[in-house]
Amino acid sequence: MKQLIKDYLDQGLSRRQLVSGLSAFGMSTVAAKAVAQNLAPLGPGAGQAASPPQAPSAVREIEGNGGKLFVEQLKSAGVEYIFFNPSTGDHPIFDALVDLPEIKIIKGIQEGAVTAMADGYARASGRTGIVVVANIGLPNAMTQMVNTFKDQIPMLVAVASVGQNELGRDQWQEVDHHELMTEPITKWFWQAQSTEAMAETTRRALKFASTPPCGPVFLSLPTNTLEQHAKTQVWERSKFDVPMRIRPDKEDVEKAARMLIEAKNPLLSVGDEITWCRGEKELIELAELLGAPVAGEAGSLGYWSKPFPTRHPLYIGTVLRTMRFPGKPDVLLNLGNRWGENASPGTKLISIRLDPTSLAREAPVDLAMVADLKLAMADLSAAIRSMATASLLKDIANKRAERARAYAAQMQQEREAIAHALTDSTPISMERLGLELEKNLDRDTCYVADVDSGKTMDPLMAFGGGDKQYFGTGPNVLGWGMAAGFGVKLARPDVPVVSVVGDGSFLFSGPQPLWSMARYKAPVTVIVLNNHSYNNERNRIWNGAGRQFEAARDMTCYNGSPDVDFAKTAEAFGVEGETVKEPASLAGAFSRAKAAMVEGRPYLLDIHIKREGLGAVSDWYPPYSIADLRTRKV
Amino acid sequence: MSITSARGVAFASAVAVIALASQAQAQQNNNPLPPGDGRDIVSVACSQCHYLGTIAKIRDGAAGWRVYVSNMVLRGAQLTPAEVDKVVNYLATNLGPGINLPPPRPVALPDGSGKQLVETRCALCHDLERVAAVKRKKQDWTPIVANMAAWGAPVTADEAKTITNYLAANFGD
Repeated sequence: MKQLIKDYLDQGLSRRQLVSGLSAFGMSTVAAKAVAQNLAPLGPGAGQAASPPQAPSAVREIEGNGGKLFVEQLKSAGVEYIFFNPSTGDHPIFDALVDLPEIKIIKGIQEGAVTAMADGYARASGRTGIVVVANIGLPNAMTQMVNTFKDQIPMLVAVASVGQNELGRDQWQEVDHHELMTEPITKWFWQAQSTEAMAETTRRALKFASTPPCGPVFLSLPTNTLEQHAKTQVWERSKFDVPMRIRPDKEDVEKAARMLIEAKNPLLSVGDEITWCRGEKELIELAELLGAPVAGEAGSLGYWSKPFPTRHPLYIGTVLRTMRFPGKPDVLLNLGNRWGENASPGTKLISIRLDPTSLAREAPVDLAMVADLKLAMADLSAAIRSMATASLLKDIANKRAERARAYAAQMQQEREAIAHALTDSTPISMERLGLELEKNLDRDTCYVADVDSGKTMDPLMAFGGGDKQYFGTGPNVLGWGMAAGFGVKLARPDVPVVSVVGDGSFLFSGPQPLWSMARYKAPVTVIVLNNHSYNNERNRIWNGAGRQFEAARDMTCYNGSPDVDFAKTAEAFGVEGETVKEPASLAGAFSRAKAAMVEGRPYLLDIHIKREGLGAVSDWYPPYSIADLRTRKV
Repeated sequence: MSITSARGVAFASAVAVIALASQAQAQQNNNPLPPGDGRDIVSVACSQCHYLGTIAKIRDGAAGWRVYVSNMVLRGAQLTPAEVDKVVNYLATNLGPGINLPPPRPVALPDGSGKQLVETRCALCHDLERVAAVKRKKQDWTPIVANMAAWGAPVTADEAKTITNYLAANFGD
């Protein structure tokens, strides 16, 4: 779809062809026309017509070099922060920022950390993360851009690239058409063609990034386009913003409402698009109106938020291929869940998605709608109310909800009983830690998780509604969590932020995010779940019952030897920390972390956690020694 | 004798891998689990997220199987407490120590007091290749053997001590 929109904007397609193409992607005619309407100001012919008169504050004439035009356009778009690491070529950007205090710059010391900081900021603020990193470090940024792309988070990543006159001369750090590297993980990529077009190119990038379904865009800015001077317009965001808050088709909503009222055993599957659309309140209202059980994320991958309160009486946990409870649904309503189109034969599937590209992509859908989830759920609730009396709806809902409430309560008790039976082990069990976190974290905490096996703690904690807000990544490209925690704290300075990472995640990102936490006095508690292993990875591998399983040879996943001391690492980066090995020490450690946050300092807890699952006891690894290869002791 | 390396919840993490679901379905159609009361629940509840084949290759006592199953509940398995009991009973009865073990790979262990115990008790649950996988300090072998005994390995306290001493002597670090 992004290619289609690009072709339209590059004047290769007419408006009619655009609408037709969007419809072919599964978008309703109403939605496709809305997109075309919103794109019109930037589409074919837009630049040829005389510009309508604008209020002086909305459209400004700016003269300066390309760096100044870039940041002035960002400023007019309301950008507050640029996440960056330095390079020589982008100096015009930072020269301009000397006299532009409205935009603050946040430095990271590796491109992956810079990108993940911007990503966390974007998830927590709903705004576009702006990243300017070194040209040659682009591949580092790309590792974290995968999380951003898959979870459809708005981000603009820019680099200063080789000057246009130098392109193709095999310069020291030049690779041909480096922007093409980003194609699979961006909505759009572009190389600035001239200083005159700098502001327009920046606007276009911002618009593509923030138009739902959102995602990262990439701009390559040749150094000459940053250094040369031009006079051009910069626009306020309102003049090029594309809200894309599309209401679903009314007739489809009525069909869905009828199906859900008449259903004998409906089930709601919910996903991240609800979170992005800020539709949590509408979801609770719809679920309670229907009395239908709600199933959320599946396992440890594939979701980044928890849009429905996990302690709500209708929340029944993971959405599975076949639900033993509530049994096979006759109507499955999938709301913004990429993995929720999961109906068995005989189940009517209604799917409402923000992203048309993955709607009905893998499974047959009986009734598909592209819409903003918040608006769609509000419309659906209104339609349901219009079709039956309040007392009849209440009777239906009560009957359905009775079973769900009983099941949810029973499972909650069961999980807590299991956890309480496992609280005293050393190393500390994941279950004990989950209980302690639930007890010690404030209810308004932003919980930033970059763990795999650590997600077994989640059912022991309360998320959503008035409880903790959950942030993770769907693809789980590790190395995100600490930096993202920094970004979340920047976006939400007045709530506690806890970043929970595995030792694997820490080692992927390295300690670089701690540097930014220390420099900018970010009061974030970092918890390292240190089990010296890629624990879930080993479990998945051994689950295939292959030779590693048979011979108990963990060829790949053991991270001990050396056993990294993460508290000492933190200390080296100016962040206080401590190692926690005993369950009885947890409460005191949390207390000290909280005190540090109150004082405005980051704090790290290196918590030694019990490995779980197949091969858990194994600390074997292929025992190679380079020292032993030597024939000379040099 | 890293029986605990065969324990645990390999399939646990596989909950995350939705792509496995279709393979799990295919495997369910060719169910590797032995007949017994509770097989149907195991087949349906466990195959939602992972293969059944690995379960069939593990042998454990009731306490050990309960650890697996409890972990699965935390990961999303839809099993009520009564069903957990039934599943654990099925697994311990039909996949307990020494029951229908596949032929072991031949592993020659060094002579010594305790060798026979390792061969006859440890091998009730897992291949002896696991025993020889890694050298450990005695203080590391001790909890491993104790853990296995607690989970269901049929050894007395004295036998566990003998096994530990044998392993420390022959596979010590």
